[in-house]
Amino acid sequence: MSKPAAVERDLLVFSIWAVFGFGGLAFVLEGFSRDAYLVSLAGIGAIVAGFISHIIVNAVFDASFKAGESALGIGVFGVLALVFIIGWASGDLSQDDYWSGLTLFAVLGFGLPLYLSTRYGLRGAFSRFHLKPADSGNADE
Amino acid sequence: MSDVAFSIWLPLFALFYVAVALYWARVAVTQGTGEDGFFSAGHAIAPWISALVIAGVSLSGWFVLGGSRQIAENGFQMPALLVAGVAVALPGVLFFKRLWFVAERLRVSSQADIFRVYYRSPFLVLVSTVVALLFAIGFAGLQMRAVAEAVSLLTDGAVSQLAASVVLGFILFAGVGIGGMRAIAYFGVIQTVLSFAAIVALAGFALIWSGGFGELNRGLQQLASAPEAASYFLVNGVIHFTSGLGRGGEVGGANTAVANLSLAFAFMGFQASPLALKLVLSTRSPNGIAAGQTWVTAGFFGALIAFAIALVGVAGLIDKNLGLDALLMRLQLQSPWFAAWIFIGVIAAVQLLAGLALFVAAEGIVRHVYKPYFNSRLSKRDAVTLTRIAVAVLAVAAMVMQNLTPVTLSALAAIALPIAFQLWTPLLGITWLGWITRPAAITGVGFGVAGVLLTEPLGYEILSFFGLELPWGRWPWTIHSAAWGMAANIAAVLIISAITNRTALSTEAVEIRKLFAGVLAPGKKSHALRPTAWSVVIAWFFLAAGPGLIFGNSAFVSGEGENATWLLGMPSIWAWSLAAWVSGVGMVWFLAYKMEMASSVHVEIPAYEPPRRLPTDKSQIERERLRALIVTGAAGFMLAVFVAFSFGG
Repeated sequence: MSKPAAVERDLLVFSIWAVFGFGGLAFVLEGFSRDAYLVSLAGIGAIVAGFISHIIVNAVFDASFKAGESALGIGVFGVLALVFIIGWASGDLSQDDYWSGLTLFAVLGFGLPLYLSTRYGLRGAFSRFHLKPADSGNADE
Repeated sequence: MSDVAFSIWLPLFALFYVAVALYWARVAVTQGTGEDGFFSAGHAIAPWISALVIAGVSLSGWFVLGGSRQIAENGFQMPALLVAGVAVALPGVLFFKRLWFVAERLRVSSQADIFRVYYRSPFLVLVSTVVALLFAIGFAGLQMRAVAEAVSLLTDGAVSQLAASVVLGFILFAGVGIGGMRAIAYFGVIQTVLSFAAIVALAGFALIWSGGFGELNRGLQQLASAPEAASYFLVNGVIHFTSGLGRGGEVGGANTAVANLSLAFAFMGFQASPLALKLVLSTRSPNGIAAGQTWVTAGFFGALIAFAIALVGVAGLIDKNLGLDALLMRLQLQSPWFAAWIFIGVIAAVQLLAGLALFVAAEGIVRHVYKPYFNSRLSKRDAVTLTRIAVAVLAVAAMVMQNLTPVTLSALAAIALPIAFQLWTPLLGITWLGWITRPAAITGVGFGVAGVLLTEPLGYEILSFFGLELPWGRWPWTIHSAAWGMAANIAAVLIISAITNRTALSTEAVEIRKLFAGVLAPGKKSHALRPTAWSVVIAWFFLAAGPGLIFGNSAFVSGEGENATWLLGMPSIWAWSLAAWVSGVGMVWFLAYKMEMASSVHVEIPAYEPPRRLPTDKSQIERERLRALIVTGAAGFMLAVFVAFSFGG
């Protein structure tokens, strides 16, 4: 991908997450704050829409998620999961909060293998995680 | 939730905003190809980026802050506001494509450059630079002040207005000063998208808290039934022959059809300003102009104004507790995450305009005034450094004025759009009306600027300072200064073009005329559609923004007085304006595509090679010019003090 195309792709990705990511986060928080499952669901929907838009942009520019994007995504997922578990353990979560959190993590959890399998096929998706011995040969030396 | 948890969201979102701004400034710098890239992004901005940013900078910030407040305070008396998306888009349809080709042929990158090369007029270059300055200091400064006030309000005074304006000014300088035009365009995409989302979300909250669209309109109907509030839903006659505001004219009675029409003219100043043209001329291809102007600016952002911003304003009209500031405050108390996200969107919209204005003004001072007339040996590298310094100085000046001289700021802001509108005549001279001569264009702009100043507070306050009291106030006969200026402008252009030599063109101007007569000549189809186009445009202006608005007062109402019912469940004039917006998008589409005014053209334009001239050492004459400027400035200052001391106060 040429440099200007890479910049245009990044601009679109930033714009998508500025709207769907932060907007979705605001809805999820609003849902937690008001104990309103449907509001949280709207936020989760926005986050999923962000992912779908991101994947469409990647397809248009014939690109994949960058290493930094994957790291950020996994990091945010980890932080959210940690906050949810702490909230659950301390007993601060209402029934709606609990279901909202579970829905979010279920969607994100199932979304990742679904995306990988549609992009790389089932075997290819597995290979994204499976390191062949030859790949790690240099590390052994 | 604790107070800390509530107060953390705005700083957190602001931190993200600053981080993203700096990231894109860095990307812009690493993409730079020498000093050229700083001023015009190497003419490589993608058409879709340009289209989006032009729409964002043209409409979002000032309509959220000003438009919603206008409706909240005065109702639907100025429906020209609701069709502003169309009015703002029209100049772009008319000028952008042809000016892009002019710039491509002459290898220039700004409005002032085009004026210098085509008309060889230092006056027009100066006016173009002054317009950019007015936008940077006054127009954007006033909005930055409003945003800084809102920051202070939302943080319950924890961040003072002064501190907020300093931080906002610093962010502006960091983005614009480091990254230049490329950073403005790149970050502008994110700012535009953020501001769009913020407007939609704000309208959503206004709608929810008003009880829904039906409830909102029931509230409006209730308001309309009160005799003292009925005027909120009416355009107040065609014209009132008053002496203007401050000289007997009442604000409440000034909202006539002609006031609406002339306000629409003022809106049409923005895309004739050097700001919008800077973006267009930094774009790599003109092939996104038609789509950008039709679907993004007139269509999408036009819809945002006609629906979303109108909804925010209407909510404030019915319930003062849902005015813009109150709405943001309520959001901050109930949903601080949404308040932060929406408010950052509003800040983004204002900063987009302010950043572009600061950059174009600084470039104008350094590259278009200082370098060509006072220091032609200035290297590109030094020009970039000086421009960065100028951006910083202007940002500080704007910040100081925002906090210390809000009245002056307001007066300067008021003349930015109407003076920009006066640039229509020289731009028309370049693009469509080749018979407008150089002296006519220059004199026309001079008369136009005078016409604006004499019908705005800044002008009559200055004259009053010198002891001359004008017999009229602001906007005499309920006509906006943009139209007064244009009346003087057109009169001068017609008379002087008639009596001056129309064939006396510079070699560059001849080249441009050849270009327009050649590859850019309108096709047969569009030529045949000319009468239709004229009819459509005149009819639209008459009905959507002009005297025809009177029909809108009662077009969708049955019955009279207390028995009056709104046929569409909403105020007649609002429904009329929505119809005007829809038909306006159609008109913009027709002009852009069918009339080929902004449609795609795929031709290579070779650079114009000017005749070679022996380089001459201008340093002596430039030193003398600088000396003359200082002496004239000092003499003028002393004369002004003397006159004010003798006659004024």
